[in-house]
Amino acid sequence: MQIQSGTQRPGVAEIATLLRGEAEPISHWSEQWSTRRLALHVGVIIVGAGCYGAAMGWWREPEQAWFTAIKFPLVILLTAAGNALINGMLAPLLGLNVPFRQSLAAILISLTIAAAILGAFSPLIGFLVWNAPPMSRQAVFGPVYNLIKLTHVAAIAFAGTAGNVRLLQLLTRLAGSRAVAFRVLLAWLGGNLFLGSQLSWILRPFIGSPVLPVEFLRATALHGNFYESVLGSVLQIFKE
Amino acid sequence: MNESTSIPPLISSTTPIATPSLSLQEPRPLGDDPAERAAISNTFVAIEAVLRHPRRLLFQLRQPGAGKLIAAMIFASVICSLIYGVVVGTFSGGGQLWIAPVKIAMGLVISAAICLPSLYIFTCLSGSQARLVEVCGLLAALLLLMTILLIGFAPVAWIFSESTESVAWMGTLHLGFWLVATLFGARFLKAGFFHANARSQVGVNVWIVIFMLVALQMTTALRPMLGKSATFFPVEKKFFVGHWADCLKAAPAAPKDRAAE
Repeated sequence: MQIQSGTQRPGVAEIATLLRGEAEPISHWSEQWSTRRLALHVGVIIVGAGCYGAAMGWWREPEQAWFTAIKFPLVILLTAAGNALINGMLAPLLGLNVPFRQSLAAILISLTIAAAILGAFSPLIGFLVWNAPPMSRQAVFGPVYNLIKLTHVAAIAFAGTAGNVRLLQLLTRLAGSRAVAFRVLLAWLGGNLFLGSQLSWILRPFIGSPVLPVEFLRATALHGNFYESVLGSVLQIFKE
Repeated sequence: MNESTSIPPLISSTTPIATPSLSLQEPRPLGDDPAERAAISNTFVAIEAVLRHPRRLLFQLRQPGAGKLIAAMIFASVICSLIYGVVVGTFSGGGQLWIAPVKIAMGLVISAAICLPSLYIFTCLSGSQARLVEVCGLLAALLLLMTILLIGFAPVAWIFSESTESVAWMGTLHLGFWLVATLFGARFLKAGFFHANARSQVGVNVWIVIFMLVALQMTTALRPMLGKSATFFPVEKKFFVGHWADCLKAAPAAPKDRAAE
């Protein structure tokens, strides 16, 4: 097993090491801050999530593919950046005494793994979309839309799970305790899901709708929020 | 009776009598047999190796300069798929004699290209130390083994092509041959994973399912391969399950030259 030390220049082979979850080099990389490594990880997130976003938006129109290719990595990076401070503070409070930069590096590593997986799945999603009938009002109420939606759910859930499993392994090694690692992971996940949901709401649409125009952002992007919408839907059920 | 010519002992069930197998329980490292270390010099040797000496092929894929071997295997796969495509085309004749081979070869290469990134991801996630070049080599070997076995089935397919007029029956037959060929190719791939120290075979099993789904969908995306059509590519987009259902609903003994959808 080749262990890449922090003194070696980070390269694409490093992504394979991240995917394999090789504990020793990964924990070493999280400790040694490297601008090149940061650039590599951000680059993988942009390219991997961008390719997946393009495949996702392509069903609506090629223009939507471009928009989603930009927005999907943006959601990921803005979530990591927006929660960086609170995540860096929660870690030592919950028993993982690592500096702020190491918290951010650990989160970026897990997001890099997820983005690499999504990027690898993007040809499969693109092929699925290519074989689907064009998006129409009829199609979005039929089995094709449900199939595409479920495929996205499965792919993103798999990528996210793989990234978080590797993150848990890293945190366990850093903390020396699985319980501490689990607490920190749950806290970080809670915060990232909370902010990520709202960022996704603001930056919608990602797949698009046949009855709405193709736009980068909806006119109501900054009106209301994801949780108000969910609460409204729940209250509507009870009203009826 | 001479005592020295007594009845020979039964062959023990643990005594290997077949060619070196791809047993997943076999712990021998690749290359421990000198025969495995002999370089593969040309395509025919590669074909023999994938059938009779798979461990030799697995070892050679790890050596520097495996790119040439991989290119040779892909080239041989394309040629074999073109040959099998001609047999497929004999069912309808006419333009299908060149259209079917082109579509089959194209579909094979495109399916492999679409699935290669996810194969590498699953390889890494399983803990395997295989490099990208080796993963490409395993995929190329899977394609080579698949297409060689299809060539083996070609005479059988041709006989049925000449003696039946049912598109549904011939489609099912070709799919059956393809399934058998793919399963053998998948077995080789799994052995490659095993020797690359993969901690789990779950990833490669999932990938095999994905590859088969993509290949099946590709046959529908590039239809028709049996039967004729006014256009090279189909006008209507369908998923393969829907297309099969439509074919089965059609007349049971559809004439050979009826235009397919």
